[in-house]
Amino acid sequence: MTRTKPLGTIASDASGPALAGHLLAPAAGARRRGFTLVAVALFTAGCEGRQSALAPAGADAEALHLLFTSMLAGAAVLWLGMNGLFYWFSRRSPAAFPEHHARRLILFGGVFAPTLIVGGVLVWGLSLLPDQRAPGEGLRISVTGEQWWWRVEYLPEGDAGPVISANEIRLPAGERTEFLLTADRFIHSFWIPALGGKMDMFPGRETRMSLKPETPGTYRGQCAEFCGASHAWMAFEAVVMPPEDFAAWLEAEAQDARAPQSESARRGLEIFRREGCGACHSIRGTEAVGQVGPDLTHVGARHSIGAGRLGASLDDIALWVAHTGELKPEVQMPAFPHLEPAELQDLARYLKELE
Amino acid sequence: MTEQEYQPHAEEERREFAAESESLWRLTLAPVTWALHLVLCYATVSLACARQLFPVDTARIWLIGATVLALALIGWQGWRALQQWNVRNTGALSHPEGKAEDRHQFLGHATFLIALISAIGTVFTSLPLLLLEGCR
Ligand code: HEC
Ligand SMILES: [Cu+2]
Repeated sequence: MTRTKPLGTIASDASGPALAGHLLAPAAGARRRGFTLVAVALFTAGCEGRQSALAPAGADAEALHLLFTSMLAGAAVLWLGMNGLFYWFSRRSPAAFPEHHARRLILFGGVFAPTLIVGGVLVWGLSLLPDQRAPGEGLRISVTGEQWWWRVEYLPEGDAGPVISANEIRLPAGERTEFLLTADRFIHSFWIPALGGKMDMFPGRETRMSLKPETPGTYRGQCAEFCGASHAWMAFEAVVMPPEDFAAWLEAEAQDARAPQSESARRGLEIFRREGCGACHSIRGTEAVGQVGPDLTHVGARHSIGAGRLGASLDDIALWVAHTGELKPEVQMPAFPHLEPAELQDLARYLKELE
Repeated sequence: MTEQEYQPHAEEERREFAAESESLWRLTLAPVTWALHLVLCYATVSLACARQLFPVDTARIWLIGATVLALALIGWQGWRALQQWNVRNTGALSHPEGKAEDRHQFLGHATFLIALISAIGTVFTSLPLLLLEGCR
């Protein structure tokens, strides 16, 4: 009885303002029920969303999800069983346990059961690996982990040349796409939790994995191997599209850049030339052929800039160019703080029109 | 109790302990087999996959053969240890007295358990050989 009070206090403290209404409830029971509700809501909210292995949107993620939930359920059963036994023998029936029973318990619970369970999970896990490495059904995508962004090349079936892009992966739904992964200077890891498992990227080596996304949507990928100062800012959008839409998009992505449409964008192109951005960035169809940074030919169509660092609005682009290093420590692009706000807006307009 | 009285007993103990040292060596045989099998598997597969020194399919067949050999060796050690433990006749699951006979059986008991875990380890190590083909 003495325990009920402090527990209730902890509950209302921990739940904070979200529970304000419940704090006024007269009964401690209602308060605790409210706490449980909030706790469950908070807990399960983490399972949803576009970067969650617990909300699978592809065949590979589903296989992993099933493995995970089965292991979790098994662990829960084991935990309850062990504690049940412990409770039973310590509280309910504390009489001496016959030795031959004890021996059998040790033999089965300590030798046979763990060997079979671990062996079973091992066989299950290993049997998933070939699928996750299976060759694709046509399209292959080569991704290179850079400091701290993703160089992306689409390699369609047939002899069409690679389509160069960056910092965003688009995939046709319902097809298995193979990834050829490598890295520039540091080890990174390529991971789209909603679509499947992760795979490390090593300098000088090519690793492979494949993904079969099912549900069209926009998901989030993240570098999953600590790679330096801006590791946490090394993300990307993964857009799963119906196959026809994807084919149309890939065709557009293969085209050269659009000429600036508005007056502001034309001024932006001039600033791009004047500031020498083309030394690092390529914009196909212009004289900008730099290879240091991401290809910007269609940067205006991306959902984020700076490898998931910012959104893709005009203000985001202006902010990026003026404050690069503050936004992303040790970034390989200098900031251009001397540009006037109007110049930044023109530059952003030019890049945004590169759809 | 004087030194004189104790002497013959200690001498006998020493002789038996020397005889027991052989089974002390046998204790390590199964885990050493497991360890060598593991190193062999890792080294062979990486030489085949990363260096392409020989085809991985052949490597796989040879390694499965090596696994059978390793398991046979571990099984044989386990069998001998079971005899030494002699649990069927004595029913002794623990050996609390520390006499020569106890020690003898205890080493058999321990060797048997270590052989068992080595066999499980070796089987787990070779599961990828059976379930995965090629280098992927
Ligand atoms: C020294 C080479 C260099 C120069 C010069 C340079 N950049 Fe960059 N830029 C980079 C690198 C590297 C990145 C990737 C940074 C990251 O995300 O880690 C980048 C990223 C970007 C991005 C984000 C692209 C994306 O896909 O997310 C934009 C937009 C951009 N630069 C615009 C510019 C503009 C405009 C200029 C000229 C005013 C410029 N850059 C000059 C190297 C350079
Ligand atoms: Cu990284």
